[in-house]
This record gives sequence, C-alpha cells and structure tokens, in this order.
Amino acid sequence: MTASPPVIQEVRNNSLAQAGLSALVPGLGQFVAGHRGRGFSIFLTILTLIGLTIWTAAQRARFPDMGFSSRAFLVMFGESFAILIFLSALYYLATRTFAVHPTTQALARAGLIVVAILAITLVSDTLIRTAVPEDQDRMLYGLTSLAGAAIVAAIWLWSIQDAYLLGKEYVPSTGTLLLLGSLALVVLGTRVTQIDLPKAFREYRDTQVILRRIVWPWQAAFVYDTNDVRASARIQAPCPPGEVGPPQNEPLPDDPWIVVTPTCGDLSVRDSMGQLEFGTLMTIEGGNFRPNDTARIQWQNPIGEPFTPRGFGESELVMGEEGSFTIEFYIPDVTIPSTAAGPQIHTLNVVQSGTARFTGELSREMKLALQEMLVTIMMGMMATLVGIILALPFSFLAARNLMNSINSTLEGFIGGVFGLILGAYLGSRAAGYLSAQLGGLEAAPVETAVLNFVLVVGGALFFYQLAGNLLDRLAKRALPPAVARVISIVGLGAIGAIVGYYLGLGFANGVLVIVYPSGFAETVAPRAALAGSVLIAGLLAVQAYRIGPAGEVTTGRLIYVLVRTVLNIVRSIEPLIWALVGIIWVGPGPFAGFIALTLHTIAALGKLYSEAIESIDPGPIEALQSTGANRLQTIVYAVFPQVLPPFISFTIYRWDINVRLSTIIGLVGGGGIGFLLIQWIRQFQYSYAGIAVWLITITVALLDYVSAEIRERFV
Amino acid sequence: MLSVEHLTKVYSTGTVALKDVSFQVQEGEFLVVIGLSGSGKSTLLRCINRLVEPTEGRIVWDGVDITAASEAELRRIRRGIGMIFQHFNLVDRSSVLTNVLSGRTGYVNPWWSLINFWPLKDREMAQAALERVGIREKIRNRADELSGGQKQRVGIARALMQEPKMILADEPVASLDPVLAYSILSYLEKLNQEDNMTIICSLHYLDLVQRYATRVIGLREGELVYHGSREDISRLTDDEFKQIYGEEAQRMGGVAGTQVAP
Repeated sequence: MTASPPVIQEVRNNSLAQAGLSALVPGLGQFVAGHRGRGFSIFLTILTLIGLTIWTAAQRARFPDMGFSSRAFLVMFGESFAILIFLSALYYLATRTFAVHPTTQALARAGLIVVAILAITLVSDTLIRTAVPEDQDRMLYGLTSLAGAAIVAAIWLWSIQDAYLLGKEYVPSTGTLLLLGSLALVVLGTRVTQIDLPKAFREYRDTQVILRRIVWPWQAAFVYDTNDVRASARIQAPCPPGEVGPPQNEPLPDDPWIVVTPTCGDLSVRDSMGQLEFGTLMTIEGGNFRPNDTARIQWQNPIGEPFTPRGFGESELVMGEEGSFTIEFYIPDVTIPSTAAGPQIHTLNVVQSGTARFTGELSREMKLALQEMLVTIMMGMMATLVGIILALPFSFLAARNLMNSINSTLEGFIGGVFGLILGAYLGSRAAGYLSAQLGGLEAAPVETAVLNFVLVVGGALFFYQLAGNLLDRLAKRALPPAVARVISIVGLGAIGAIVGYYLGLGFANGVLVIVYPSGFAETVAPRAALAGSVLIAGLLAVQAYRIGPAGEVTTGRLIYVLVRTVLNIVRSIEPLIWALVGIIWVGPGPFAGFIALTLHTIAALGKLYSEAIESIDPGPIEALQSTGANRLQTIVYAVFPQVLPPFISFTIYRWDINVRLSTIIGLVGGGGIGFLLIQWIRQFQYSYAGIAVWLITITVALLDYVSAEIRERFV
Repeated sequence: MLSVEHLTKVYSTGTVALKDVSFQVQEGEFLVVIGLSGSGKSTLLRCINRLVEPTEGRIVWDGVDITAASEAELRRIRRGIGMIFQHFNLVDRSSVLTNVLSGRTGYVNPWWSLINFWPLKDREMAQAALERVGIREKIRNRADELSGGQKQRVGIARALMQEPKMILADEPVASLDPVLAYSILSYLEKLNQEDNMTIICSLHYLDLVQRYATRVIGLREGELVYHGSREDISRLTDDEFKQIYGEEAQRMGGVAGTQVAP
C-alpha cells in the first residue's frame, strides 16, 4: 500500500470513523479503508440512482422541473432514511438484548425489512402530499420518487454498515448492494419505458376484433360471388331552383326496380349544435324484390362511397307479398367535399343481401401479396449472391494469418501506393473511353459496369504489383542507400501531403464550420489543407528517415487494419438504416432494399469468412509455400479446402438472415412484402395485413427448416 | 553443398531461437539435427527454405544465396527443396491425388493450377510417386481417411513431386509409432542412397539417429553444441547422448535395429 497522509492513516481501520465518513459521503469510508474500487462503485451507484430518479420523476411524470424534483426527492430521501435508521437501531438493540440466536436474528432482520417496506409505503401518501402539490400527476410522480429515494436511503445505510465492518477487518459480500441497485433499476426502468400493465389488459378487449382478422385472414384472400338483389336510382342534391334532376326510373317488368320522387332535393343539415334539420322528403316505391324478405337502404355519395343512413326513415324494410314496397325517406346529411362545385349526383340503392359463393379465385390483394413475397425472396437471394462475391476478396484481406506475413520495403510500399493510384486512374480513363464507344452508361449499363470494375480494379492491382515490385527490387539491389533514402522520404512525404490535404480540408469544412458557421471556414479551408499537407508530410518524412533505406514495413498488417475497420463500421450500421440511405440514393423500392442488404451482407460475411480463414490449420499453408507455390496457389490449395465448409455454413446462415430482413426492410420503404404490410396497417386493412404476416411467417419458417437441413448435409 | 553461416533468428516476441549457427552439408549427406523441443531445430529447418525469415546470417546452397533471393527466385529455390512435417500438413478435405499434385505447384502454369487443371505428365508422375511409397491404391481417398503412416507417405510423395535435390524433414516420425518410424525413415534413406538426395532431418531418438544419420549436429537453446560424424555417433553412449540432449533423451526401445521392409 502506498504511503498516505497521517490523517488517513488514523482514520483507517477505525470502524466508527469510517462509518462516519460513509455517512457523509457514501463510499468515502471504504475508499479510505483502502477498498478504493468498492468505495468508488458505491459512490457511483448512489450518484447514478439519485440522478436517474430525479430525471425519471421529472420527465416521465410529465413534470419537467428538475429543481422541484430534486427538492421532492430530498424530502422523501430524508424521511426514508430516518425510518431506516430507526428500524436499524431497533434491530441493533434487539439483537443485543434478547434475539441473540442466529436464527432469531435472521427472522428479526426479515421482519424488520417487511416493516420498513410497510412503514415507507404507509407514510408514502403523506410524503407525496408534502413533496408534490395537489394538481400534479401525483401518484406517478410521487411513487417513482419515493421508491428511488427509499432505495437510495437503504444503499446509503448499507454503505455505512459496510464501512464499519471493513474497519473490523471483515469484508462483507456486496450482494445487498447488487440487489438494491437492480431493484432501483427495475422501478425506474418500468417508468422510463412506460410499462403499463393495466393498460395492456384494458385495451386487449378492443384489440380482439383486429387480432382475429390478423390471425385468420383467409376470407380476404378469395373473391366471392354474391347474388344480392338490388336496384338503384339517381338523385341530385342540392337542388337549386329550376333544376329537375336526373330522369325518373320506370318500373321494370321482370327485374327489381325502384322509383324515387322527386329525384332532385336538398340534403339534411346538421348544425353546429348537432341539431338535425331534415332535407327533402322522398317517396320510394319498388317491386320485383324477394317477397317477405328484408332489404336495406344504401346511400352512395358522389364519389361512390356507400353507407346506410340511419334516422331518416325506414333504413331496414320488409318486402310485401308481391315483393314490392313504398316508403318515405329524407335525403340524409352527406358531407360533400369543399372542392365539389355545382349540383352533385348521389345514388340510392335498395339491397337484399343474398348468399356469397366461394369461387376459388384469389383476391387482388392476395395476388399482390404473393407477388411481393416473390420480390422479397428474390431481394434476399440477390443480396446474398452479390454479397458473397464481394465479401470473398475482403475476407482474405481481413484475415490476420494471411496478411501478417506480407511485408515489403518502404520503397516497395511507396511504389505500391502510387501504382495503385496511377492504375486506378488509368483504368477509369480507359473504361470511360471504351464505354463511351459503346454508347455510355444509359445505352450499355452492364458493359460499362463490367468495364469499370475490371479496368479500375485490375489496373490498380496491376500497377500496384508492378511499381511495388520494381521499387522493392531497386531498393534492395541496385540503388545506393542514399538514393533509396531520398526516394522513401520524398515518396512517403508525398503520400502524407495527399492525406494531409484532405484531412486539412475535412477539418476546415467539417469541424471549424461547426464553431464558425458563417463563411470563415470556407475562407481558411485552403490554408488548413496546406497546413495539413505540410504537417502530415513532415511527420511521415521523419518516419521514413527513421525506417531507413530498404527498411521493412508491414504492408499486410496495414491493409488488414484498414479493411477490418471499414467492415466493422459498415456492419455496425443496421440494414434498416442502410435502406434509408438506399432510398435517398435510388428511391423507394426493392432496389433500395437490395443495396441495403448487400452492403450489410458484404460486411457481415467478410468478417465471418475472415474469421473462418484465421482459424484454419496453418500446416498446409506452410507445406504449399515450401513447394514453391505462389500466394494464389497457396490460397487455392491450402486455404480454400479448409474454409469451404464454414463458408457454406455462413453463407446459408446469411441467406436465411437476408430473407428475414428483406421481409421487414419494406417497412422503411425498401420494397417487397414489408412495404405492402405497412401500407395495409396504415389503412386499417387488417385482414390484408394478416395475409402479409402469414406469408412472411410461412416463408421464414420454411427457410429456417431448409437452411438447417442444408447446413446439416454440408457441414 | 549447403552452407549455413552465422545464422541467427530472433522472433518478434524476443525469443532467440538460433544463435550464430554455422555448419555445412555436403551433397548426398543424411544430416540429423538433434535437440530438445524448443532448441531451434524447426526454426533451423524453416530458415533453410525461408518459411522463417532469418534475422542475421547467410544460407548459401550450391552457390546461390537463399537469404538474399527475391520472392520469385525464392519460389524457384523452394521447389528444389522438399519438406516433410511432423504433422504431415496435408489438406484433410482434399484427395490424396490433389495433395500429391500440390507438390508440383512450383513447376506448372500457375493459372491452370488455380482451377485444379494438371498436365497428364504430372498426373502420371503423381501416380508413380504414390507407387514408390506404396499407397497407389489410396489415390482417390480423402486425406483424412488415411492412417498416420499413410499420411506421412503422402507427404513424402508430395515432396517427390518437386523432384528435389534436398529434403528437409522436421521430426517426420515424432507422431508415429516405432514400426512406422523405421518404415518412414527407410524411405528417406532410400531417397538418400538411390537418388542421392541430401536429407536434413530432425529426430528425437538415439537409436534412429545411429541407424540412419551420416552426420549429426546437436542444438541446445539455439546454439550448436555438437557436431559428429557417423563413427562418432555409433560410439556415443546413452549418457553422452543425454549430455547433449538433456535428461529427457531416450531410445525408441524394443525394436531398435529392426529393419522394416518398405
């Protein structure tokens, strides 16, 4: 133990002094006693709980006043603390006088804990009343604060006892602290996440109807033939003076008919007080309906929306012996869109419901859902396939065991970097020229993409190899050390200048602009870029000087770290967020979803693959190298056969994930069945939503089974 | 002639595996390297074909400085040096044929070999190599279906595909039982005597050393502590052996001197 000031030396191992310190500041006694971690965590626990309680009470009880919350908390904490102290003292006295047996002591302790909870609960109403004014959301606010305060008080008390016992050279368990801490977190967490058990039960009943439709939606999946008996008449409303409305119907000899008089009238109006003023009274006559059966009146507004008006006459009527009827009916109140101009034609129907007959034909929505399901599965599959192809090269670059052995001279590294830039530039120029010959991006998209990929990547790799090897060999063999040193210093300095230029620009446009938003950043940007160039170039030049001519640099390690970092960043952004990026990029639809899934797949598979590569037996690699095989041959003969089973397994696993994800990527606009689902839910079309949910469930379950089977076969 | 001059290897962890080791191997010798595990035997063998990059010193083979070779030159040098490993280092999931053919990678067109296309000449050569080590009939089997002795024979066949002038054998019999150990070493002896290949082999057991070595060097903690001819070794008693070797030295026992037919 390190030497401590004399005051602390005196306090240390003095139980009472330590307990006193912990009473002042929780954890201080433990800290002085040398149990620094313990003291610190007690202090932090209490501090966190106080903060959380006050914040939760203020935010979640819709009472956003921190100052008031703090005062209320203090009141409650004080009272709880007093109650606990009193009960502890009682316990102390009891165990000293009569309850000396361990069992009795345990019973007494348990009893007193119950009493403590009871006491605090009983006085809670008074406490809440003193702490919170009447008109606030008292219960919620008060109970949260009280529970937090009581637990903080208990922990504080425990810490005093703990400090005392530590002074007696006895290290008690921290179980109580953990228990109380978790309890406080449960109480506060319930409030913060707005968990409301009564609500869940209260609202369940209303949800049943909707749930039933989602759980068993199959009626909506088919088209039904109905043999309703119906007849219609057209009516104009409102009716300006002088207008007569549409021509009246004539009774028909065989088919059902209705005749409405007059065919032109005014709508009923409901005024702002809810008082109804009836419109024109119509007489409706009809015949040739099914005798002795009921029929209902149905009103269709000008845009064709049907409803059954109630309270304007007999909306349900019974046909006579001959299937005819005569009733009187007021023109109902119909909300007409404010954009509608002039007289509007409504339709009145009299409908006798017939029986619906199953036709076996799928409904439009069912067909749509099936079609989108196919889109979804394809999206997941394409993302997986493209993901595999792109993840493979990255996985080799991100495998430590393969990359660590790649070293080169500093000169070779510099040559490689410049070769890479030059090759990529030449490649893109060549690809641009060739694709222009083919008619450009719009006329020949696939050719352009392939040309760009092959020429840019190929050119970069080719010149990387060429320039890297050339300089490497020159530095090792031909060049005098002084020249090699100059090359390495100038080369690395130049790389530093390029990197520094962009870092400087980024600093000006990204960081300075936050502090100086108006114009200043733009004006200093060129200078910042220059400063960055000089700084980084200088640093790297010094580094190059220190490495010396033909010195080793771990190129492989550098690439490994770079690729790993990029993969990790891409992977830690969820596909749903990538989908948002995709939507901004190419608009909503399956393509956006495909982009999102592919990006994430590349990163995820790249990591899984690279880990599979890292865990292989290095023996065969050694054996292949010893035969004079080059790097590619070594990978094909020593690495591939070993990583094939895990690769297959990971790929199927990822395919599984991708199809799952593709079903929900539509929720944010990524196309596929999820897009339909969210639309139907928003339109309250729960039966159709139910169909979508069923299709998703069936697909995912099938996929689960199939992928498990395949993996079992292969691995 | 292989000449190792002042070879030192310090691993990046700071472990000094070899300290200023110098010796020469004449063509056609059967040189055995003895020493405890961790004494630097494996590092020494791997420095010769630069599976392990030496820190200091030179290795010159038939006038070519291996330590200064560029990557392409190194591959050319390596294909002339076969290597056999304690744990065989076969690719378990590949067939015996593919494993043997992979010994030919240094000779064939690299692009063809990437899609597992091999010239007929090489396929016939692989069959002959397997014939020579006596497991011609296992050619279609997967490597992990073989027993330990069979695996090591595949390892030898793979090395034969390189048409090597020298074979490095890193404890080739340490994972095998005594009978198999004699059998495998007899193959190496045959290659040494019939094909005049130089063999550099690390071994653990005194009786095997006495039976096969034409010359012996001993390593202890990375330093060369013993250098003896065939006659020197045959005179070596167990106690002297233990002095070089440490207390853990032992004989194979039981089957010492037994000639096992190939």
